Amino acid sequence: MNPSQDAMIDALLRKQFDGPALDEGFSRRVMQRLPQRRRRVAWPVWGGILVGAVACWLALLFSPAVDAGWHDCLGGHWSAPAVTLLLAMLGMAVLALAWGVAEADDC
Amino acid sequence: MVDGAAEARVDRALVARVLLSDDRAAFEQLVRRHQGMVRAQLRRLLHGDVATADDLAQETFLLAWRKLAQFRGEARFSTWLYRIAYSCFLQASRKTPLPIDRAGEGEAERLPASEEATDLQLDFERAMRRLSKAEQTVLLHCVQMELSHEEAAYVLAMPLGTVKTHATRGKAKLKTWLAAWHEAARVEEAS
Repeated sequence: MNPSQDAMIDALLRKQFDGPALDEGFSRRVMQRLPQRRRRVAWPVWGGILVGAVACWLALLFSPAVDAGWHDCLGGHWSAPAVTLLLAMLGMAVLALAWGVAEADDC
Repeated sequence: MVDGAAEARVDRALVARVLLSDDRAAFEQLVRRHQGMVRAQLRRLLHGDVATADDLAQETFLLAWRKLAQFRGEARFSTWLYRIAYSCFLQASRKTPLPIDRAGEGEAERLPASEEATDLQLDFERAMRRLSKAEQTVLLHCVQMELSHEEAAYVLAMPLGTVKTHATRGKAKLKTWLAAWHEAARVEEAS
C-alpha cells in the first residue's frame, strides 16, 4: 500500500468516527449510581487462610495415606498415595491460579 | 493540541485523590473527562446502539470506581478505562448476542464505485462492515481512537503482533475494495 492510499484510508476511517459523545447528563447519572467505597480489610483473608491451613494440617497430621505418599514422593516411588498427594497439590495450585486470574480481571 | 502527558498527570492526580480520601468529586471529574470517548468506543463496537452503549459505559465507570485501587498507572487512565469497557462489551455479547451488522458478507471482492463524493463514504461504510470483527475492532482502536498498537494490544488483550497483522490486513482489504475510488482520484489528479 503506498503512503497516499494509506493516508486516504486513515482519513476515511477518522471521518467515519463520530468522536467523543456529548455528556447530556451521563456523568450525573453515573455519580448517582455510585456506591459507597468499601474499605478492604486484609485481616479476614489472612485469618481465613491461617485457620484453613491449620485445620488442614491437623486433619492430615495423623493420616497414614499422606505420610505414605510423602515418603514415596521423597523416595521417588510413584505409588497411589504419592500420585494422589501430588494431584491434590496440583489441584490447589490450579485453584489459587484461577483465583488470582479472577481477581486481576478488569470486568 | 492537548498535551497527552499533562492529561495523564491530571488523571493520576485525580485517581490519587479518590484513593486517598474517597473524593467523589475527583471521580466525577474523571468520569466527565473520559465519558465521551468511552461511550464513543462502545457505540462503535455496538454499531450505533446508543442505549446499550450507555448502559455498558455506566457499568464501565462503576467497575472503575470499584477497582480503582488496581489502576497502577502503567497504562494511561483512559486506556485502562477502554480496556474495562471492551471487557464489559465482550461479557455482554457473550450473555446476549448483540446486534452485529453483517451486511455485505460474501459479496464479490470488489465493490462498485459510485460517482458522487458522498457515495465514497457509503461504500466505505459497507467495506468496513465486510471486515472481520477483529479487523474492525483493531482499526477502531488504532486509527479512529488514535491509540498506539501497544495501547490497542493492552485494551483488546491481544498480542502486539496480532494487532499489527489485523491493522495491516484490514487496511489492505479496504484498499482493495475501494480500488475504483483510488483510480478515480488518480485520474482526477492527472486531468
